[in-house]
Amino acid sequence: MRNNIRERERRQMAASGVAAPTRTEVLQLYRSLLRVARQFCDYNIREYSKRRTIDAFRDNKNLTDPSQLSAAFSDGKAQLEVAKRQALVYSLYTPKVKSIMDIKPS
Amino acid sequence: EGFEVTYLPVGSDGLIDLDRLVKEIRPDTGLVSVMAVNNEIGVVQPVEEIGKICKEFNVPFHTDAAQALGKIKVDVEKWNVSLMSLSGHKIYGPKGVGALYLRRRPRIRVEPQMNGGGQERGIRSGTVPTPLVVGMGAACELAMKEMEYDENRIKGLQERLLNGIREKIDGVVVNGSMDRRYVGNLNLSFAYVEGESLLMGLKEVAVSSGSACTSASLEPSYVLRALGVDEDMAHTSIRFGIGRFTTEEEIDRAVELTVKQVEKLREMSPLYEMVKEGIDIKQIQWAQH
Repeated sequence: MRNNIRERERRQMAASGVAAPTRTEVLQLYRSLLRVARQFCDYNIREYSKRRTIDAFRDNKNLTDPSQLSAAFSDGKAQLEVAKRQALVYSLYTPKVKSIMDIKPS
Repeated sequence: EGFEVTYLPVGSDGLIDLDRLVKEIRPDTGLVSVMAVNNEIGVVQPVEEIGKICKEFNVPFHTDAAQALGKIKVDVEKWNVSLMSLSGHKIYGPKGVGALYLRRRPRIRVEPQMNGGGQERGIRSGTVPTPLVVGMGAACELAMKEMEYDENRIKGLQERLLNGIREKIDGVVVNGSMDRRYVGNLNLSFAYVEGESLLMGLKEVAVSSGSACTSASLEPSYVLRALGVDEDMAHTSIRFGIGRFTTEEEIDRAVELTVKQVEKLREMSPLYEMVKEGIDIKQIQWAQH
């Protein structure tokens, strides 16, 4: 399923001259994503959010083209919004049983 | 009334014999149905080749792509499928929703499962469960973006699991072809160990000794029997599933627990003792009292 509408928006935004993010903004986004990741109660989702953030930023670290940078940055911001919302929703319904990986061996 | 079904055998690697398929197609064959990725052993069937054969003989081709979606490249044109079954929860979407792909050209006609309001041209009467469907759509979108990343990661985890286990214990057999398989599914047989007891001992690892579809029966899985696996090895099989959210630590823990449990069971097993002494257990005449 290709989402052509989102692609078009991204291109329009880049074409309209949305500035590429500054180094500070990128680092701030990175830290915010990792901070939200820590808030997940579920072991697997927590580890996934952490790992995916680190891998995604590492894969994109050599981008130089400003439109690509803006695209990656807005993608990251969108993911941050999703993560913040889900961390809140999941915390409302935390199961009592923790993952076996979270329980320290006695 | 009813239909005649021809079941095709599979080789010991779990793959369909294409020449056999060509032989078995009759002039009155209405449908060829082959699962794209097997849920128990993870083997990927040669769907492209099967699609070509079906096109040649002009027979509609159905495939169950529930385990294939989001994991391997699915191309309905290349595969020449007329019908494809999809499931939402297999790609980290919501449970309770699925989809059936129906080809437009040439149009494949189906009989509705339920009759009612006549929605979707009479094929699917009823109201669409919007949250579930949107969830499945979003899951598909994500799966397409993440497919390469997930596959590379899961391949590494699978190797870590297999090598970790093989380093510590012998008599480990992988069921199904090693080349044509989906990386996230590993079905292992441990010689001289019974599957259900191993499962009961692996309390902290969520594995299965078969597929959910056969959970009610204690018989060894029909899939393994079709592969030609010996009765005793078929009873010992365990299926490990690795996914997007599996971590390296979980793999290491699974290796540790599995090895410990297998060693413990083998320690208790008189059969294993006899094997170590060099007795061929297939030659034993069990006395009747």
